Amino acid sequence: MSAHQQGTELDLSWISKIQVNKPAVLRRAEQIQARRPVKKEWQAAWLLKAVTCIDLTTLSGDDTASNVQRLCYKAKYPIREDLLKALNMHDKGITTAAVCVYPARVCDAVKALKAAGCDIPVASVATGFPAGQTHLKTRLEEIRLAVEDGATEIDVVINRTLVLTGQWKALYDEIRQFRKACGEAHLKTILATGELGSLTNVYKASMIAMMAGSDFIKTSTGKETVNATFPVAIVMLRAIRDFFWKTGNKVGFKPAGGIRSAKDSLVWLSLIKEELGDEWMKPELFRIGASTLLADIERQIYHHVTGRYAAYHDLPMS
Amino acid sequence: MAATRTASRAGEIFTTLEYGPAPESHACALAWLDTQDRHLGHYVNGQWLKPEHRSSVPCQDPITGENLASCLQAQSEDVAAAVEAARASLENWSTQPGAFRAQHLTRLAKAIQKHQRLLWTLESLVTGRAVREVRDRDVPLAQQLLQYHAVQAHTQEEALAGWEPMGVIGLILSPTFPFLDMMWRICPALAVGCTVVVLAPPASPTPLLLAQLAGELGPFPGILNVISGPASLGPVLAAQPGVQKVAFCGAIEGGLRLLIQEAVWDETMRRLQERMGRLRCGRGLDGAVDMGARGDAARDLAQRYVREAQSQGAQVFQAGSVPSDSPFFPPTLVSDLPPASPCTQAEVPWPLVVASPFRTAKEALAVANGTPRGGSASVWSERLGQALELAYGLQVGTVWINAHGLRDPAVPTGGCKESGSSWHGGQDGLYEYLRPSGTPAWIPYLSKTLDYDSFGLALPSALPAGPETGPAPPYGLFVGGRFQAPGARSSRPIRDSQGSLLGYVAEGGAKDIRGAVEAAHQAAPGWMSQSPAARAALLWALAAALQRREPNLVSRLERHGVELKVAKVEVELSVKRLRAWGARVQAQGCALQVAELRGPVLRLREPLGVLAIVCPDEWPLLAFVSLLAPALAHGNTVVLVPSGASPIPALEVCQEMAALLPAGLVNVVTGDRDHLTRCLALHQDIQALWYFGSAQGSQFVEWASAGNLKPVWVNRGCPRAWDQEAEGAGPELGLRAAWTKALWLPMGD
Repeated sequence: MSAHQQGTELDLSWISKIQVNKPAVLRRAEQIQARRPVKKEWQAAWLLKAVTCIDLTTLSGDDTASNVQRLCYKAKYPIREDLLKALNMHDKGITTAAVCVYPARVCDAVKALKAAGCDIPVASVATGFPAGQTHLKTRLEEIRLAVEDGATEIDVVINRTLVLTGQWKALYDEIRQFRKACGEAHLKTILATGELGSLTNVYKASMIAMMAGSDFIKTSTGKETVNATFPVAIVMLRAIRDFFWKTGNKVGFKPAGGIRSAKDSLVWLSLIKEELGDEWMKPELFRIGASTLLADIERQIYHHVTGRYAAYHDLPMS
Repeated sequence: MAATRTASRAGEIFTTLEYGPAPESHACALAWLDTQDRHLGHYVNGQWLKPEHRSSVPCQDPITGENLASCLQAQSEDVAAAVEAARASLENWSTQPGAFRAQHLTRLAKAIQKHQRLLWTLESLVTGRAVREVRDRDVPLAQQLLQYHAVQAHTQEEALAGWEPMGVIGLILSPTFPFLDMMWRICPALAVGCTVVVLAPPASPTPLLLAQLAGELGPFPGILNVISGPASLGPVLAAQPGVQKVAFCGAIEGGLRLLIQEAVWDETMRRLQERMGRLRCGRGLDGAVDMGARGDAARDLAQRYVREAQSQGAQVFQAGSVPSDSPFFPPTLVSDLPPASPCTQAEVPWPLVVASPFRTAKEALAVANGTPRGGSASVWSERLGQALELAYGLQVGTVWINAHGLRDPAVPTGGCKESGSSWHGGQDGLYEYLRPSGTPAWIPYLSKTLDYDSFGLALPSALPAGPETGPAPPYGLFVGGRFQAPGARSSRPIRDSQGSLLGYVAEGGAKDIRGAVEAAHQAAPGWMSQSPAARAALLWALAAALQRREPNLVSRLERHGVELKVAKVEVELSVKRLRAWGARVQAQGCALQVAELRGPVLRLREPLGVLAIVCPDEWPLLAFVSLLAPALAHGNTVVLVPSGASPIPALEVCQEMAALLPAGLVNVVTGDRDHLTRCLALHQDIQALWYFGSAQGSQFVEWASAGNLKPVWVNRGCPRAWDQEAEGAGPELGLRAAWTKALWLPMGD
């Protein structure tokens, strides 16, 4: 991946006047789902693009070395070889964008990927994921340890308390420290939008996270009751665009949680295309955090290639 | 494997990430056209009508130019046949219980639901509009309209007990949105028990399909009849015996005017261009297209406007380029037009947006209201106080705050000024097709001998007719709060029924009307901003004054030949009218709840502005007061012409008004009725005109008022029972005395 987004000095005037028009955002979110159908070979190509943007994720209490290893193998070979051949895409190096695990499983993932002989990055969640309700000191230490273990991307959660109480300066300072603790690793900041109370807060938190130097902003942990929704995404994407217009810095976007169907992934891609443009439709600037999505995409590609719907045992599990 | 051919492209698309075609299958639309052998006639009385020896026009795909079908063009006989069918089914349909009509409308809604794909592909195919627009908006709205009006037919029966259906309604559709236009109007008409004849523009099959769906429901095939033909058949339709009303849909969704405050101009323009740059133009039947085409004429119109604007120094931003020979025109943003250039004054064609800056909200309001159009507008501001102030001030039928283009069957949609004076949807929409029970049906009578050029033109000269007998009436025109000498400096004698002279009244003329209208305009802002309670208080004070003056008024009426008993009743009723309207004014406007929106829609009743009233000859005091009271109660300022034969009681009231009312609120001009009517009807700055007089005068008023499309209310020479509650103080007067504005307030943080 390229160099980091350096962020900017804190400028509260960028967020002080912001007011999000919720009904309009809801309407736009509804429209976007119906207005850009992608069909036939376009659909197959777009789905493969979606595969390359997936952060293949397992974040469970019962994760062990063996299922992490299986996940890593699937990340390397996300789509059955014969299907890719049929699309003439077998030599395009199609893998998922990253694998995403808990800090304690980073070693397993790094080892498994090394064994598979590929350089897919390992992303680790950190900073008291998912609630973030631990001391700052341990949160920072968590980042450092994950980086030491070989994670090159760190998905941190922000302190929701600071957002809900309007302590933007403190939020900026915390994320700045996360940034520093990451060193060379990429910083992906999870806003946990389901717990921020309003779309206006989502915009403000997005802007603060970007000013503090996040490489990506991410919707949610997948553990909140409300996860990646289109209205939230629109607000975050507009914030990314505003930040780009103000600074020239491109910040990536990662929706996570509840994205399960191939059709959903197409809508997410078209949303990125409509709001930010083609240059954001690549793994450097767009990720989908998902665990079961890949299976559905593979089924759809199977159907596109063969004209039949696959049985579950036709495709390897992750 | 199936995909070997397509496989080669996947790699390319993987890199470019372009959108592909997403065509909606329109096979069902073609199959439906095939059932008519690609030859469409009219749909009358539940049957296809394909008379011989008629010309036909081709129905073409506006994008490919492909011939889809040929459509027969109606002639007078076909119009007559359709009206006859509607007339024959009227009695049966209108006497059905509301619940029964509700059931029928619900069945039609279900029929639409079952065949929606056919409807949306056919409409998109023949109009070239984006299918998502028809599919996601028009068709669901059509169903909602039917369901809403089914409920109205069911529930409003009691509330509308004093009203009856008008009868056969003629409907002339515009070529732009024939399908939706038709639904907005036929639903209320059918719900209240009217039957309909629709004149669809040449080559628009969707209304025919809709009629077929309705006809195939079985019973009542004649309630909805559709014929296609040129708009020039309109007068033929209007002249058919039995046709009670002709609704004309000129609604063409044109381009937009955008006013942007200077402080946020750059930012807004940038965002606008960014968004417009992502709009996709293309074949309407493509599901991934935002904007279709509207045919060559619309494109050429847009082209001309853009060229003209450029030559006047405007900046033009066009999103994407389209080949000049294609039927498409890209969404276009025009800015920096000099304020005085002809383009700034002209109507903006589709699909253009003309943006101009403003400094203050007050200035924006003045610019927005400074056009003859008054359809709809939206206000975008995060300051609710400011947004509401603008929304209340805008002279348009619909205002959306921080939203645009929302519609709901429960919300009355209409306009003011040249955007028309009728409403669709909600309660207001129902009244468009009702008349108070007992009022006579309208007879299509147009006198061929009426000479519009000379009607009321000459002012007969009145000579002195001897000395006045008895007490002299107040003399002068009551304008601007005081009695003034007429511009002509002459007078006309008023005689009683025996012919003896009662006195002289001032002879008003064109200049006096001009002065009176000016005075009324000056008083308008003050009166409009009065609270309902303040208006009520004033009406009650006037009532009290009339009561005090009762002996005086009774004797004036007696001298005009009114019996003592009747005169007493007349004064008593007049007092009652003022009190009643004063009380009613308190309860106006309400909040509506609609399905598609979180938040209320406010239904506001807005004053018309300056209302001119020509009073009838009969009931000289009661009719005068009965017309004046609702007008004032609803916040209008008024120019009145009192009874021609007996103007003196009205002048007597003026003496009280001089002391009580703000100057200019009520202006009373006496003189020759025809002449004054002519002056009023031809005045462009009067917002509405009520005329109670001869059939000829009514005809003239309707003809002349077309100049600024002001709403008129005429009696066509039929007398009215002013002493009866229904006709003298019924809800009809209140409906006529104000217009409805819908104000959408979405909520959410």
